[in-house]
Amino acid sequence: MPGPISGPTPDWHDLAWGAVLALTGLAVAGYAALHYEFGTLRRMGPGFFPVVLGLGLAGLGLLIAIPALNRPGQVRPFAWAQAVGVIGSLLVFGLLLDRIGLMASTALSVAISSAVAPRGGLLWRALLTLAVTALVWLLFIAGLNLSIPVWPWSR
Amino acid sequence: MTTLDGLAQGLEVALQPSVLIYSLLGAVLGTLVGVLPGIGAMAAITLLLPITYYISSQAALVMLAAVYYGAQYGGAVASILLRLPGTPQSAVTTLDGYPMAQQGRAGVALFTAMISSFAGSMLGIVILVVLAGWLGQLATSFGAAEYTAMMVMGLVAASTIGEGRPAKSLAMVVLGLLLGCVGTDVNSGAQRFTFGQVQLMDGINLVALAMGLFGLAEVIGNIRKAERDGPPPRVSLRQLVPARDDVRRLFAPITRGTLLGGFFGALPGTGSTISSFLSYAMERRVARRPERFGKGAIEGIAGPEAANNSASITAFVPTLTLGIPGDPIMALMLGALVIHGIQPGPMMLEANPDMFWGLVVSFGIGNLFLLILNLPLIGIWVAMLRIPFRWLYPAIIVFVCLGVYSVRGSTFDIVMVAGIGAIGYALSVAAFSPALLLLGFVLGPLIETNLRRALLISRGDPMIFLERPVACAFVIATLALLALPLVGMIRARRAARA
Repeated sequence: MPGPISGPTPDWHDLAWGAVLALTGLAVAGYAALHYEFGTLRRMGPGFFPVVLGLGLAGLGLLIAIPALNRPGQVRPFAWAQAVGVIGSLLVFGLLLDRIGLMASTALSVAISSAVAPRGGLLWRALLTLAVTALVWLLFIAGLNLSIPVWPWSR
Repeated sequence: MTTLDGLAQGLEVALQPSVLIYSLLGAVLGTLVGVLPGIGAMAAITLLLPITYYISSQAALVMLAAVYYGAQYGGAVASILLRLPGTPQSAVTTLDGYPMAQQGRAGVALFTAMISSFAGSMLGIVILVVLAGWLGQLATSFGAAEYTAMMVMGLVAASTIGEGRPAKSLAMVVLGLLLGCVGTDVNSGAQRFTFGQVQLMDGINLVALAMGLFGLAEVIGNIRKAERDGPPPRVSLRQLVPARDDVRRLFAPITRGTLLGGFFGALPGTGSTISSFLSYAMERRVARRPERFGKGAIEGIAGPEAANNSASITAFVPTLTLGIPGDPIMALMLGALVIHGIQPGPMMLEANPDMFWGLVVSFGIGNLFLLILNLPLIGIWVAMLRIPFRWLYPAIIVFVCLGVYSVRGSTFDIVMVAGIGAIGYALSVAAFSPALLLLGFVLGPLIETNLRRALLISRGDPMIFLERPVACAFVIATLALLALPLVGMIRARRAARA
């Protein structure tokens, strides 16, 4: 297996995530301290656990970010297209399911997610869309009889 | 109840047609996902989690467990034939399995992997029964302080023993613990971090979280990675038959691997992946000619495969007897039990003996089935290796959506999975472990409740954790685990200076 490739200093991944986690921790601890009762050790309030954990997360965030400042990072490829395609496909399905029904949202979702596949032509994508939509109908409507709007007009 | 009575009762449960079918189905599905590129046992169990709402608790757990150990069998096939581990547990198998395949001994390698997996599982079941009885007895004396200390130790062990920087692993655990706080606080009734959203009052849905972190993040990462060039070699049934010399060399590694895996599987924080690596290291150390390793040594397959299967069985020990999952897969199993209103713990052996023994017997039946099924079906599994991931993932995405939706008919949850998936993928690219986040999420509410209870009993005196001997031992172990990476860092720095 190929080893990790050294990238630029600082280690941007750890630096950025360390900072994000530290800020998240502080925000959570602050919000919990203001809104929920902290209580005492003897009677912990609902705020106790989040405040302590939030501060812990802030500390760990710093522990991640500070050493990353003068240390070379690794080149880690981020599959942007694939991430956008998959997340987009999910969002479309989730937001449209109630409006256009199962069949149409499945087809749309498959069309979007298969668009980011590294290989395969337009015909393959069209066939895959048809096949998955048919499979979903067979499994979930004919088979499991899921109560869900099926067609755009069946509401 | 004696072990024999228990086994008899378990046999009754496991042979019910409804349970048996799900056990066999899980075993086949598990092998399939182990073989198929781009989906692991974790993603498969996550995808099946919504189904468990609709079947009996016994059938649900038996099926999920079968997927887990089935994937170990399947994972070895991809490791040996393509040098691409189908599951992390089978990564070690590539080291000697792939060279064997290149030398034309793929069949023998596959046979070794399967028979070692089978033997490891069967002996693992024996270890499970012995340890569970023993630990269940011990755990009845545990109070809130012991539970708190033990769970914290488990989380720290999982963060510092695994791969990656300990600070990053611990941060994921803490983030998971925080996510576990979302929703109605069981102790005070306060709404925490719900921001007025009704959908968040029950907390973040375990299914949505797991699907986002594992289902989606894995799919995104694998779309390009899992594209393969070149078909795998063909394997026929006849090639599976090992020489007498090969068989003779299997016994010792399988025994050592099983014991090693059985031990580490039962510990919180360590699991089947680590035990397979340890077993490989051990086999190389005890070998008379260690230079054969990496070039197709049959012991290098037998030991680790026995170890990871044995570990995946004994991982159920802390989950079932203490109610504390040692790894994220066990966290999902625990989730499935809780969905059915069963709280695992020391009382489970008494209160739900049918569940425990049914599971134990189903392990045996499932593994026997896998051995019988997989030897003749090896040709089909090899053919499955040829399916490109791009044919599969669009359907997986739709199944994720429908799976999440089916839990409570909420499209809000689908959108939440999308968000969690995006964050989960970004985290995994930056080498943060989403598995630890899930572990923290599941254990969070348990830790908070027990911590509160322990401090209530001691009237706010934190010394309770040091005064009770068992709790104190856990605390000391936790501190030692935290000190471990520090010692390593100081040594590395000294070595760099010298």
